[in-house]
Amino acid sequence: MSEEAKLSHTLVVSDLSAKQRMWGPRSTKNRESFFHDAAGPYASPSSLRTTSKTDTRSPSRQSNSGQRKPTTWLSFPLEFSFSTTMVGPTASLSNLSRADGSASFKCPTTGYKILGSVNAPVELPGRRDALKPEEATVEVFIKPGNTTAGVGERYAEGIIRTMLQKLILGRERGFPRRGVVITLAIVGGGAIARGDSYLTLLPSLLHTSLLALLSGAVPMSMTYSAALMAVSKSNVIVSNPTLVEAKAASSLHVLAFSSKGHLLLNESQGRFDFDTWKTVQQRAHALCRGVELPEVDGDIAMEAQGDSGTAEGFVRETVEDHLCRDYAWKINTE
Amino acid sequence: MASPLVLLPGDEVPSRHLPSNKSNPLKLGPGLRLLSQPSSTSQNAQSQHVLTATQAGIVTTDAKRNTVSLLSFPNRRYIPTVNDLIIAQIHHSSVDYFHCMVTPHTAHALLGQLSFEGASKKTRPMLRQGDLVYARVLSIGLGAGAEVELTCVNPATGKSEPGGLGPLNGGMVFDVSTGMAARLLRASSSSSEQNESIDGLVVLSELGKKLESLGGFEIAVGRNGKVWIDCSNAGESAVKATIAIGRCLQTVDEKGLGPADQKKFVTRILREMKLVS
Repeated sequence: MSEEAKLSHTLVVSDLSAKQRMWGPRSTKNRESFFHDAAGPYASPSSLRTTSKTDTRSPSRQSNSGQRKPTTWLSFPLEFSFSTTMVGPTASLSNLSRADGSASFKCPTTGYKILGSVNAPVELPGRRDALKPEEATVEVFIKPGNTTAGVGERYAEGIIRTMLQKLILGRERGFPRRGVVITLAIVGGGAIARGDSYLTLLPSLLHTSLLALLSGAVPMSMTYSAALMAVSKSNVIVSNPTLVEAKAASSLHVLAFSSKGHLLLNESQGRFDFDTWKTVQQRAHALCRGVELPEVDGDIAMEAQGDSGTAEGFVRETVEDHLCRDYAWKINTE
Repeated sequence: MASPLVLLPGDEVPSRHLPSNKSNPLKLGPGLRLLSQPSSTSQNAQSQHVLTATQAGIVTTDAKRNTVSLLSFPNRRYIPTVNDLIIAQIHHSSVDYFHCMVTPHTAHALLGQLSFEGASKKTRPMLRQGDLVYARVLSIGLGAGAEVELTCVNPATGKSEPGGLGPLNGGMVFDVSTGMAARLLRASSSSSEQNESIDGLVVLSELGKKLESLGGFEIAVGRNGKVWIDCSNAGESAVKATIAIGRCLQTVDEKGLGPADQKKFVTRILREMKLVS
């Protein structure tokens, strides 16, 4: 085996293992279908098979330029999908000057951009009798970018409202009998057509409303983070799927975890069995809170992620950045 | 305070960050609450209670007064607290009360018709819709949906204490963030002799120096994020000076300018508006 061939061989292998680490433990049996899912249109299973053959059985043939070509060509889409998963979401706080709290959030994989505002505590007009006398009422409004809100938006509003009602401390001073009004506008990304799944949008909406609530200093008992997971037809779990992957998936799951580890929200659709859901839940937990998963052979599947790689760490970093900028006058003088 | 401790809702305040002053009880500021820990593992009675944050903010402690509080985002909504000084706008008046607006989209606060200095049934101020008053929060009521009551007079002495409470005539109101309003109040309440910037604010003293030749200006800061500015001594350039001061305060608030930048910005604005050559 020539030195060059060995090099390119290790390159491919390291790529594979990095990929596998990202997506968790997987048997060699469904590796092929996994590639089909992850690399999408770039890699066909047949081309993969030929490379793996040259890799394992006759590595000396790799010095041949004609045979090496697919190797380098293959490493491109792998790296490409690798980098898209590594690009984190972007968010900014207090964008709107007239709202009490506001935040914008962009999800890199689904492409949705949400602008959220929070007004609290405010008087809800003409419904004093309908309000709970001892608690704040949480209202969520979702505004699609191009149409009026319909059934899908009402459905998502209901999910978010039920979840937030448990987290917002509605009995704090100034809040009972008042409203916490959260408005989420979808300002970027594809439109959700009627009948399409709303689950792809849900994590972005949840993160935006959390950041807006934090920026509006609405008292809450804890924070949370959410993740979108898809299970493809070949039973491969895809974390943070793109819209194409979500559309092709056999089941979609949105899970939200509180900062203390509770499972706050579980919305699933499609066909799946309980074992699949259990794995999805573990993977989502790792994605949100960065808990390491033991691999089959006792190795650590996830890289030892700090706070920064997780959804929860992202929220914390965004808030810390903004607070430190706002209080620069205080931090620098003391 | 090299690396500030930032807490999110649900985070516990580490006990090493609490002031170790045992002489008087620890006071909690806004954004913090005391929870009792359910775990039975700790035998120590002290550690059965934890302080947790309910908002996102920077932990600040005052060792002298033994307080711990959370500095939250400065653009949050103002929630009335007793003894706060606020600028309210009259919405309408009824037999006994003026109904005032303190923050948008909240219930009106009540200001008694007679709660002004030297007011009697015959000599009470006739305030119209839209007039401004500088008032103190007298009570916020108990329980849910209680009404906020304001006053422009100290009920014990019959004087408008602290000075300056009452109707605000002339001038103009500018909106700033509640955090900026609190900063301005702290800066103005401390002694004005020291030239040091208080809370990193030099914009007011700088404006005062530069506009002295025009006759100075009057300013009232409400905790609800309102600043009232009056330059009626400035004669012809009164309007320009008022706008200039308002712009300075709002820009310092929005952009978070440091002391050096504040001075530069004041000079630039005053030159742009041809107030100071």
